[in-house]
Amino acid sequence: MPSFTTQIPNMQGVGPVVEVKLAVGLIIEEILKKTSQNIPAPIQALAMIDTGATGTVVREDIIKQLNLNPVGMTLINTPSSTNVQCYEYLMRLLFPNNVVVEAVVIAAPLHGQHIQCLIGRDVLRHGVFIYTGYIDTFTLSF
Amino acid sequence: MLGMLIKEIHTYEARKNELIGKSKGKFALIKEEQVVDVFDTKIDAIRQGYERFGNVPFFVKQILEIETPQNFTSNLLGV
Repeated sequence: MPSFTTQIPNMQGVGPVVEVKLAVGLIIEEILKKTSQNIPAPIQALAMIDTGATGTVVREDIIKQLNLNPVGMTLINTPSSTNVQCYEYLMRLLFPNNVVVEAVVIAAPLHGQHIQCLIGRDVLRHGVFIYTGYIDTFTLSF
Repeated sequence: MLGMLIKEIHTYEARKNELIGKSKGKFALIKEEQVVDVFDTKIDAIRQGYERFGNVPFFVKQILEIETPQNFTSNLLGV
């Protein structure tokens, strides 16, 4: 079972965060290869595992850098807004230890500089998430 | 307001009742004014969209009577 474990100093304060690479989806990569187009390089990002998120969110500027086009639209509710329309994009999430997940992510602005991605329950539904608070580690397995 | 996919969203709204009658719960692939096909899974519809149209905007929509928003408890979201 592909898996990774991360230790975060002060995980209570910082949250369960992990360095990931965000890449175009495999289907897009195949299409770009077939048509001899450049495949955008994966982008390094800091992601937070968020069990309070129905879906995975990626900051809009990263979507632009990957030259992605929307494949859908969804409505979202946040603590401050309801029924906000957001685009959806096909993307590949590359976690440590070669753990790879393909997902349809939501593009939205994220406050603050440090988090570029929220990993939501659409990804977690495929795996096991173990939050071991007393030693500041978490494990994600698929 | 969404600039991209606006035609496709209008197409879905115009054909929604018909699609619900025939294919409720499935996934419609829509490009501009055309409902290209209906699929059992979202990823099948997306794959067909890329194979047919390339890396351009297209609309994959689950055919539902009532839309349920996705929920986010985090105040990190800037919307």
